[in-house]
Amino acid sequence: MKIRSYKPLLPLFLIYALLILIAVAVPGMWQPVAFFMFYVALGQAFNIFMGLTGYVDFGYVAFLGLGAYGMAIAIKYFSSLGLISILLGILLAVVMSILLSLAVGAVALRLRGAYFAIATIGVNEGFRYLIEGVRLWGGSEGIVLSGLMRRTFGRETANLLSTFFSDILIIAIAILAAMTTIWILNRKMGYALLALREDEDAARVMGINVTKYKIMAFITSASFAGLIGAVAWTLKLTYVFPEDVFNIHYTVEAIVIVMLGGAGTLLGPVVGGLIYGVLKYYLSVVFPGIQLLILAPMLILTIIAFPEGIVGFIKKKGKKSRISYYLR
Amino acid sequence: MVFAENLISNLFYGALLGSIYGVATMGLSLIFGVLRIVNVGHGAFIMIGAFTAFWMFTLYSLPPVAVIPIALVFGLAIGFIAFQAVIRRLVDAPELSTLLATFGIGIFIEELAKLVWGADYVGFSWDIGTLYLGPITVSYSKILAFFCSVLVAALLYLWFTKTKLGNAIRAVVQDREGAVVCGINVNRIFALSFSIGIGLTVLSGVLVTLFVPVGINVYMGGDYTLKAFVISVLGGLDSPWGAFIAGFLFGLFENGSYAILGLIPGVEPFALTRFVAFAFLLIILLVKPTGLLGGGE
Amino acid sequence: MALWGMQVAKKWINEKHGGIKVGDKIYKVEIKYYDDQSNKEVVKSLVEKLAVQDGVKFMLAPYSSGLTLAAAPIAEKYGVLMNSHGGASDYIFEQGYYYVVQTLSPASKYQTGFLEMIKNIDPNAKKVAMVYEDTEFSRSVFKAAREYAEKNGFEIVFDKTYPKGVQDLSPLLNELKASNPDIIIGGGHFADGQLLASQLAELKINVKAISILVAPALPKFYDALGTKAEGISAPAQWETGVSYSPDAAKKLGVDYFGPTQEEFLQMFKEVSKSDELPSYHAAEAAAAVLSYAYAIEKAKSIKPEDVREVMNNVEFMTFFGMWKIDPDTGKQIGHDMVIIQWQGGEKKIIWPPEAANSEPYYPIPTWEEKEQGKLAKP
Repeated sequence: MKIRSYKPLLPLFLIYALLILIAVAVPGMWQPVAFFMFYVALGQAFNIFMGLTGYVDFGYVAFLGLGAYGMAIAIKYFSSLGLISILLGILLAVVMSILLSLAVGAVALRLRGAYFAIATIGVNEGFRYLIEGVRLWGGSEGIVLSGLMRRTFGRETANLLSTFFSDILIIAIAILAAMTTIWILNRKMGYALLALREDEDAARVMGINVTKYKIMAFITSASFAGLIGAVAWTLKLTYVFPEDVFNIHYTVEAIVIVMLGGAGTLLGPVVGGLIYGVLKYYLSVVFPGIQLLILAPMLILTIIAFPEGIVGFIKKKGKKSRISYYLR
Repeated sequence: MVFAENLISNLFYGALLGSIYGVATMGLSLIFGVLRIVNVGHGAFIMIGAFTAFWMFTLYSLPPVAVIPIALVFGLAIGFIAFQAVIRRLVDAPELSTLLATFGIGIFIEELAKLVWGADYVGFSWDIGTLYLGPITVSYSKILAFFCSVLVAALLYLWFTKTKLGNAIRAVVQDREGAVVCGINVNRIFALSFSIGIGLTVLSGVLVTLFVPVGINVYMGGDYTLKAFVISVLGGLDSPWGAFIAGFLFGLFENGSYAILGLIPGVEPFALTRFVAFAFLLIILLVKPTGLLGGGE
Repeated sequence: MALWGMQVAKKWINEKHGGIKVGDKIYKVEIKYYDDQSNKEVVKSLVEKLAVQDGVKFMLAPYSSGLTLAAAPIAEKYGVLMNSHGGASDYIFEQGYYYVVQTLSPASKYQTGFLEMIKNIDPNAKKVAMVYEDTEFSRSVFKAAREYAEKNGFEIVFDKTYPKGVQDLSPLLNELKASNPDIIIGGGHFADGQLLASQLAELKINVKAISILVAPALPKFYDALGTKAEGISAPAQWETGVSYSPDAAKKLGVDYFGPTQEEFLQMFKEVSKSDELPSYHAAEAAAAVLSYAYAIEKAKSIKPEDVREVMNNVEFMTFFGMWKIDPDTGKQIGHDMVIIQWQGGEKKIIWPPEAANSEPYYPIPTWEEKEQGKLAKP
């Protein structure tokens, strides 16, 4: 295998292109595709850290939450700048989630395994209760922007922002995350991280600067999370409530997506996100009320059949065949 | 004077609450310690216990205390089925795949419970009087819940340290490969520990209803799952009684800090008590990265 | 529950009323529904599917304020009307969405009626304690309650919240007890409302009257708490036994539309196939469907924009009560809430007097008296 191979991007972009085509061509499919893309992007972003390092950040949703607040604050206080406030929001979202990731990284990344995972829950929950407790950023009442956005940007533009533009941005984030992933995989950093995932102590002994790469992956992953929170939540939904954006359920969903597709693979989170999103959407359309009862056994069966995820499984099977050029 | 009274009574309430937190976490810790599985569906089993208590009370007028053994047996059975059907097949799979499986199991149980019990919030009323103790007013059922929790924790401790099976489980916790070498049937230990873990968790659901007999709902488990995660780490993950003590401390911190936080003007002290409890967790982990009572990694 | 309510409304319109008449054409009501799982991501997709693929023109908004807000831009994009039957928060209607209207009374009305009642029956009860869930819904309820209380000479002696998902309110209630209030208003949703009542009982906090949001309005509240629930009040959007009828409508000189209360109860039994009485969630959902049918007939058009136009000017009565919206915001201003109180194991309407079917029991029995078996029966 060539060391620097971008071929694996091909099937990935094929999937993206197909999705975009469906969204544009089939009436009424735009929002559902945006919904699938939310999960795809979430999986991609989460995979950069969890998939590559093997560390599970249970409090990951805090980065999304902070990103959502970043965007909300920018729109709320700088709406006079017009649409520039949205650019500002994106910037603020990234900065805020990077700051948090630095803080968490400095403290929690010293912990191993489950201790790290749970410590991050502590960060997430602590943050949420701090916001509610000292009534920061509106406390539990959150920040509601619909009216403000409609007044300052105009009705049409505001609607366009939350029903079209935010979805385009999510797709862009998903593409960017994929490219970042392959870029990392192709570089020394990727190999270092894989070594770290197999055996952190051994990697350290081999002279790999484990801490540096770990933190780099963590920050990258966190800033993507901040972007997703800013775009898929604040810009799209036009409100932010703390109990909503610090809900650990989203982290669990991210883990499920990554595991479903295959941790550490490029295509895995995309496949996982699609399966999860499509199932969730269509089951709730076809079997309203009992969709989760059907979804749960399907997830369990999938993981029993493919313990390393679907892409992980194919990768293993097709190790010697030509498929392997297109899978990472 | 008022402050002292508040602090004393809040610490008292915190101790009661903490014992419930503790007992509701032990099952999670046991399963993690032995099988290295993070049971994301933990809360669903607490919910099952709560509903068992509710059902037995409304259908057969059985007091919750009498339901404890029933719930334990029920939980053992569910745990055994879940292990045989799903977990057994994932023991050698990547660690995190079990996380997805327990997520699925949790949802499945919740949705099944919704079909059986409906989506309503239910409760029952089992009054056995009230204790007045200086500034403290508390129902006897909560005190009973406290003693039952302590008893369950103590019994588990004895079972672990004094019986052969218990020792075998502890051996697996400490060194899985070593235990195999010593001739311990690890798969049997896994099945047993998972069943006991779930059994304990369902049982704790009954004790939860002794403490809070209302607001029982199929989705009530989420809050407990989260707390249990945190508490189990605080206690050092692989020791169930560490979890119990940590739960106790967590409760003390949550309720106890209210007396102080309540004095700060312009904030919502109750939410801040949560903040303080989680901050406490982080500080402990910084000082001692393997939890209060945890050993090595 | 809400779905059954909608089905009752559909059944009445299609069978009893003979469909919606627009000019010479008769339209039958059809209901399409999906489960949004209270998930803010799913809801947008489902609303778009309803609007585009299913061709739905009149929608009932999702059952929460946040979800309604998430769905509103999509509804507006496709020119679909959304009628809120569960999203009570006032701020939804302050965002300028023309296509969102409301059938139930907004959050700001939830606890003011109770204070008004107290003012009328006991002018000396001045000290109010507020203890409620820290969520946007209860915050908007109690913000309005605070304003009302201050304006009407009440003194707020305690005003604290608790976070969602709490298991123990003891520290908070301990402090509340020390403030020695005359009345307590509080609550948020289902679970915490039950918890609040049960812990007020446990800590033996005796006051003259208690009103808790949402939870006590459901029969399960009494099942859960037993006689401890005696005397506890709650605001309700609707309750079996309210006095809205064709006669009442005639007196006010407005139209009456939809089934009478008896018909509704009868049909609800048929649809739900159970003896359970409908809660106000069923009634408000039915009323939202009925309001569409009424406005469509008035507009003589099934175009959402025409119907929305007509809605500005209609005022009519259903078994749920009056229906009239504020033309600018779409907020419901015609409908009145009632206050219920548990009396001898039955939910009785005690306020406003013109809708009541029982006298308020005041002051309520103490917890000790309730333990002795005293009921709040006048």
